[in-house]
Amino acid sequence: MTAIVSGAPRPRRAPPAPLFLFVGSLFLYVGVAIWTGQTSQLHTEGWVGLLQRMVALGIVGVGQTFVILCGSIDLSVANLISVGAVAASFIMQGREAMMLPAVAVVLAISVVVGAINGAIIAGLRVNPLIATLGVGLVLQGLLSASFTDFAGSVPQAFQAFAYGAVGPVPYSVLGLFALALAAWWTLGATRFGAHLYAVGGNAEGARLAGVRTHLVMVGAHVICSVLAGVTGLYLASRLRSGAPWVGRDGVYDLESIAVVVIGGTLLAGGRGGVWGTLAGVLLFATLDAALNMLGVPAYPKLILRGAIVILAVAAYAARTREHVA
Amino acid sequence: MTTTVAGEGWPRGRAIAIAKHVNAAMVVFVVLYAVVGILQPSYLEPAGLMNFLRRSAPLAILASGQLFVLAAGGFDLSMSALVTLTVIGGSMLADNNPDNTWWTIGALYGIGLAVGALNGLIVSFLKVPSIIATLGTLLCVDGAAMMWSGGSPRGYLPDNFRAFGRLVLHDVPVIGTFPIAVGVLIVFTLLAWWGLHVTVFGQRVFAVGDNPRAAELAGVRVSATRVAAFVISALSAVTGGIMLGGFGGVSVGVGSGLALQAIAACVIGGVQLMGGRGSVVGAVAGAFSLFALFTLLNLVGLPQSLRDTAQGLILISAVASGAWRLRHAG
Amino acid sequence: MTTGALALEMRDISKSFPGVRALEGVSFDCAAGEVHAICGENGAGKSTLIKVLGGVYRPDAGAILIGGTERSFARPADARAAGVSIIHQELSLLAYRTVAENVFLGLEPTRFGRLDRGAMRLGTARLMQRLSSTIDPDTRAGDLSVAEQQIVEIAKALAFDARILVMDEPTAALDEVDAKRLLALVGKLRQQGVAIVYISHRMSELAAVADRISVMKDGRKAITAPASDLPTDRIVRLMVGRDLAEFYPPRSQAPPGPPLLEIASGGNGVLADIDLTVRAGEIVGVAGLEGSGKTALARAIFGDRPFERGTVSVAGAARQIRSPRAAIADGVGFLPNDRKRDGLALQRSPRDNVLLTLRAFAPALARAAGGAMTDSIADSLLRRVDVRAARLDGEIRLLSGGNQQKVILGRWLARDPKILIFCEPTRGIDIAAKAAIYHIMRDLASRGRAILLVSSDLPEIIGLSDRIVVMRGGRIVGACEGGASEEAVMALAVGHVGEAVIDPVKVGAAV
Repeated sequence: MTAIVSGAPRPRRAPPAPLFLFVGSLFLYVGVAIWTGQTSQLHTEGWVGLLQRMVALGIVGVGQTFVILCGSIDLSVANLISVGAVAASFIMQGREAMMLPAVAVVLAISVVVGAINGAIIAGLRVNPLIATLGVGLVLQGLLSASFTDFAGSVPQAFQAFAYGAVGPVPYSVLGLFALALAAWWTLGATRFGAHLYAVGGNAEGARLAGVRTHLVMVGAHVICSVLAGVTGLYLASRLRSGAPWVGRDGVYDLESIAVVVIGGTLLAGGRGGVWGTLAGVLLFATLDAALNMLGVPAYPKLILRGAIVILAVAAYAARTREHVA
Repeated sequence: MTTTVAGEGWPRGRAIAIAKHVNAAMVVFVVLYAVVGILQPSYLEPAGLMNFLRRSAPLAILASGQLFVLAAGGFDLSMSALVTLTVIGGSMLADNNPDNTWWTIGALYGIGLAVGALNGLIVSFLKVPSIIATLGTLLCVDGAAMMWSGGSPRGYLPDNFRAFGRLVLHDVPVIGTFPIAVGVLIVFTLLAWWGLHVTVFGQRVFAVGDNPRAAELAGVRVSATRVAAFVISALSAVTGGIMLGGFGGVSVGVGSGLALQAIAACVIGGVQLMGGRGSVVGAVAGAFSLFALFTLLNLVGLPQSLRDTAQGLILISAVASGAWRLRHAG
Repeated sequence: MTTGALALEMRDISKSFPGVRALEGVSFDCAAGEVHAICGENGAGKSTLIKVLGGVYRPDAGAILIGGTERSFARPADARAAGVSIIHQELSLLAYRTVAENVFLGLEPTRFGRLDRGAMRLGTARLMQRLSSTIDPDTRAGDLSVAEQQIVEIAKALAFDARILVMDEPTAALDEVDAKRLLALVGKLRQQGVAIVYISHRMSELAAVADRISVMKDGRKAITAPASDLPTDRIVRLMVGRDLAEFYPPRSQAPPGPPLLEIASGGNGVLADIDLTVRAGEIVGVAGLEGSGKTALARAIFGDRPFERGTVSVAGAARQIRSPRAAIADGVGFLPNDRKRDGLALQRSPRDNVLLTLRAFAPALARAAGGAMTDSIADSLLRRVDVRAARLDGEIRLLSGGNQQKVILGRWLARDPKILIFCEPTRGIDIAAKAAIYHIMRDLASRGRAILLVSSDLPEIIGLSDRIVVMRGGRIVGACEGGASEEAVMALAVGHVGEAVIDPVKVGAAV
């Protein structure tokens, strides 16, 4: 029988990551705009464009925050986004009447995928990285076997999701902030939120305290998958059609994890929140915009993207004395 | 050490005791290959078998390289991009001139060494989990390959370069034909087997994968061991890339999906993800099994992309059964 | 002694795991307002019994009665609902959440679906009052001391109306002062009519706090008797099945040899002004409370978190030890306090584990089973430390804790270091293996090695060491001879002699 050596680990004081990232991003954006002489980017349209860059990654990122907070991770989001985008545009085929059924089908698929992810992780105790990698492969295989190119199209009315606006502010940006508020409330003010932090912080302790840890894990994965599905719908609306590579090309799996970690959420779970994630998304949107203003071509941008993800995670992980594999 | 998890949990008996030393993946392979042979009898002829081995050789080499990283507790997903970079870089450097082949191959191994070392250093010193780190380097290496080729690589490698994948020796006694690729496969896997199961280094890899903290406190150079594992994995990717360059033309998609195929092959061969257990025999047998499965999917007319689906299911079920084993055996 | 109606009755509980009969027909009961202690060796079945009670395991046979009615628990939540609360050995607090959030985990009050944080704060403050504690409900749990965290665990257990409280070695991580406070608290809860099942290894505590004591051995109950009828030596005999003669090997009479380890004004982030000399032939004990720096000292010498100031000499030569590997190269060995986390490659064999350090220093491409690393050499090392295993090529995780510890010891014998540091060498291993390890330690010392013994187990430090240094606040604050009294060591460890021994509960004589 081993006695405990020390109790709960002493937490480091968290740096005010969201605020720091927020201010840093703004300086970066303004600085690059002035340096490259593209001051038009500082007018309303420029700022709105910057916010719009946040939408897709922001929605997945909020979902990823839920699973990472409860000590899991989801690598299947990119593939699910593709599935959502293709399913939506294939079912709609440009017909307005099919909008509602298409959205319903995409959300239903997402709920099922999330429940499967959660069940494999909680029930079969498969490492979440491998479980979601596997589920992602299954999805991508089925999708690519059925579709090889843009499939169907979305009607004009559905494109409002991506292109409609209230005054200068697009619906999608408003939607993202409404989503973030809802996520913030869920995490901070509900029992589910409290249990999510508990499962991420100490799953066995939570179980002994009577928390239904399996249900919490499944719930978090369902939320994450549904938000990935919504991202797929958004991309279908923005691209006017869905193709089986839209999720993979956006590198949403890696980047959603990176923004969560940059936002100060512990990769191991138990601490963090949705505002940090949003600040991380803003940073990525800003970097993207800055690279565009600087005129960096596509392939070097790919290299930078990979390097930025690694360095972003490293900025938080490098301090640990523990071994990482 | 070379025995694997194969047969564990079977009822005990003398025949079973012998079977325990045979990797389960070998049985899987024989069964799958028999089915392939029934559907397409030419596979059962020596030339058919040699051709099968030739085409599965790159995957088997990649699997035995990936095995080192898996046994050390990590993952190397950047393999796919490195294969692509090898083929594209090979065509850029060799520039259709057979005289350039040898130093080109040397340079490609140099690139592999650098990428592998970079992976290892990122994981060991920046402490980025290897799944994320190698997905990141995958993007970087892919981007570098595209940049190098200007975005639209095409054409073929010089003939003497392509020989590693393509050349088949004829009129060989007993077996009739002998592809060079099979020779490369034998040499590479023997080296891998020696490195992992015979040397002290191999034992360190397993110890690091099992419990890096315990290994460190016992005096093992954990970071160096991990970096070496990633370098071996990268060198196997270059080797596989050189062979695949011989199979067909130069394109951007040569390597796509190969890292996950290599991992799935290892998993079929009884390698435990997250470290500590595995064998080269298993990895190679797993690669043959997976390739036989792909051949089978082709023969029955299923689309290629269902390969991904099959791999996903293999990954999940293998890890689930591994988790079950750890919970129930003792 | 106030004993009311039976709050808890367990009848003929049996539980088997693959290959092990963990419990065989164990009956146990506890009345309201009673403290019923359970003691027994590791593996005697104590933990399994309380896990059955807490709904973590389902018994194969037997019945559990709560307040006279039979209940069956499918999961921990069911046991809690029946009024059974268990404080497990491993603290389960969430470091980044507040005390109130921890106390109400799983029981959060809500208003219209929204967490009622006011009610949580108020409820926590009330519980803290009941426990005579001033812990602020809004503090983050990770910012509390271990003793305070233990109180939060108790509050958590009381947050729903627990009528049966099970405490599994609650004082294991506490120093004597905090332990005594906790015992006073147990007494108070007993007065409030709670039925308390108390598990402990500290014999002095049992005499002080228990009304009745049950001793378990090999999955069965050996005896249940009033505490007054069970003197300590009888409990130990029932637990072990034999007398403990020659438990600690005799000290060497020869004068110690030349100094093998000399530290002068060593320090780092958590240590300061360390002056320490260990000579050949000596066992030097390092005592101190939790957080006193005694483990940090061991890690600093071994280069795991190295000294940043001062000088270290090994066998007379100045050394810069910057990593465990450097320490090993200089002739230092280290047995970590957490075997499974820091010591063993759990899926490898005892042979691979015993050869690990040799292989760490062999040329990378040498044959793993060649030279000085053959199976027969491994087996002879394992025999020297008396490892008992059905298979030496099976997985080491299937071995008992004592045998696992012996394998790590064997790993160092293979290198034959000049200095060997033992960190909590006998934590969680059975008495026979303890005695074997003590004899090996003494044997090593008598063959001219220097031994540093870092331990929280005072009787072990006192019984085994030739010399004891005591640490507090990252410094060495005093030294005693081997065989000194526990009070003398503790006085140094606590720092202020008179004040520390406020004794709310009568604590019996030490073992």
